[in-house]
Amino acid sequence: MKARTVLAVALGTVAAATLLVLLAGASPADALAALLRGAFGSKAAAGETAARSTGLVLTAVAAVVAFRAGVLNIGLEGQFLAGAAAAAAVGPLFPDLPFAARAAVILAAPLAGALQAAPAAWLAEKRRVPPVLSTILLNLVAAAGVTWLVRGPLRDPAGDYPQSRALSDAVLLAPLVPGARATAAVLAALVLAALAAFLLSRTPLGLALRAVGEAPRAARAAGLPDVRLRSGAFLASGALAGLGGGLEVLALTGRLYDPFTAGVGYSGIAAALLGGMTPLGGAASGVLFAALGAGSSALQRDAGVPSALASIVPALAVLGLLLAQGGRTAEGSR
Amino acid sequence: MTGFVEIALLLAAPLLIAATGELLLERAGSIQIGLEGTMLVGAFVAFAAGRGGLPPASSLAAAALAGFLAGLLFALFAVARRADPILVGTVWNLLALGATAFAYRLAAGETGAVLEVRTLPRGLFGVPDAVLASFLAPVVLHFWLARTRAGLRLAAAGENPEALRSLGLSVVAVRSGAAAASGVLGALGGAMLILTVSPTFVEGVTAGRGFLALALVVFARWKPLALLPAALLLGGVTALQYQLQAGGFGLPYAFFIALPGLVALGALALASTRGGAPKALGSAAP
Repeated sequence: MKARTVLAVALGTVAAATLLVLLAGASPADALAALLRGAFGSKAAAGETAARSTGLVLTAVAAVVAFRAGVLNIGLEGQFLAGAAAAAAVGPLFPDLPFAARAAVILAAPLAGALQAAPAAWLAEKRRVPPVLSTILLNLVAAAGVTWLVRGPLRDPAGDYPQSRALSDAVLLAPLVPGARATAAVLAALVLAALAAFLLSRTPLGLALRAVGEAPRAARAAGLPDVRLRSGAFLASGALAGLGGGLEVLALTGRLYDPFTAGVGYSGIAAALLGGMTPLGGAASGVLFAALGAGSSALQRDAGVPSALASIVPALAVLGLLLAQGGRTAEGSR
Repeated sequence: MTGFVEIALLLAAPLLIAATGELLLERAGSIQIGLEGTMLVGAFVAFAAGRGGLPPASSLAAAALAGFLAGLLFALFAVARRADPILVGTVWNLLALGATAFAYRLAAGETGAVLEVRTLPRGLFGVPDAVLASFLAPVVLHFWLARTRAGLRLAAAGENPEALRSLGLSVVAVRSGAAAASGVLGALGGAMLILTVSPTFVEGVTAGRGFLALALVVFARWKPLALLPAALLLGGVTALQYQLQAGGFGLPYAFFIALPGLVALGALALASTRGGAPKALGSAAP
């Protein structure tokens, strides 16, 4: 990407954000100060940013892993939900054995995410069904599944609302610093992002994955196992998103409810795009989106700017990039 | 049970009109997975127009205009600039969700009061004319695609864009037109929701209906007439859920909401090649 493009998109996004702040009748300086205060201004604020980062970083890395292998996995939302549902199912089984309960969640959530992606991977390779179509359908099925689970098998009989039984306090991850919501989950997400970056850019497997994504026919002609590579990337992507859902339950919510996400799977894709489709760039964008989200409540409370600004700004930035980059090659990711 | 039939029709119409628009665009070879966002924009514009004092029919027209612009915007990115439509659509959803929430907050202020708008007047069968017209839309599209020169050209842009181009016709123009029409129908779907069953706006008021409409297109195997029974079934099931609000009904409702997704997945798995999808679906224009 050219530096000039990046600069133009950044300037355009800042200009649009300033315009929206002015439209809301606030001063841009006040709004920026409130946003920064809400995102980083205190231990609690920084902890909130870190806590919100976990799911976004993992879905962003999940998007990168799939997209770089040429798989348009739009099913991150459903895979995230599958992981959260698995965590809510196995987490309460061992209320007095924190280690066992956490291990069960950390194993079950990625597995559920991969299983949620598996039908789409199979359809893509065996039936030539574009993953875009199958994963959108699977997202619907996952959302309906959550609706059913929290009212049926997983329902907490003690609760007034349809929600799952809570994980015990002993099982939930403890904050890294007292008074902040961040747990070790965010560190795990960042470590996985670094591992994915290493794997994609420094290993033969990563090279093969990128080759299959960029030039599938050439990769196949060169003797690469393209079907296995694509399917593996698809399942790994689902596993990462599923882990994101599981960690959301284990570190933050302690249970499953309906609706469980406000589109973290789709935001992860946007973060990956803004990060130039690299794991570290995607992770950085994920943290940026989380900071915007955490800062947005202070933005609304202290500066009178609707908190939705925090979801408009990243979307505008990504649209700007898409407009600047434009066209695809004939043998693109599909 | 007249109440039931009426509610079922009212709930089916937004899905049906939005799915008809999406089907039109996909038959032209592009795809807008941001239909949820377009519906949301239509819902908000209809709400804002209603609060601004416009009569319901004019609110519907205002939403259509917004949808037209949204469709052209999509075409600028995904057709003319040839950015990947999947990525454009994903981001469009996020933008529409944020922008409508932002605008609603500015328009409604801090009050937690429920702001309502007037709904469309009832006509034949106790439902507004626009709702009845929605049921004609797939029929009209069916004959238009099969019987008119313009319809055949549109389908050619989705099946064999190179051939269209070799006739000296612009694939970009055909798909852009389809995107604009599809934007109009998607926004009308969102607006109809506000102007019939839920006459107020809340963040994300469309509640996944855009994704459901996308599933209906696959379920219908890109055949307009097949949208009718599918949308009616979903409308009926949702109306039933409204009538039996009491607890314990979670399983069948969730099952029926998942049903179009499950059946469409099954159809894709069983069909020989891509389940009847247009051959050039999602491709860049030549």
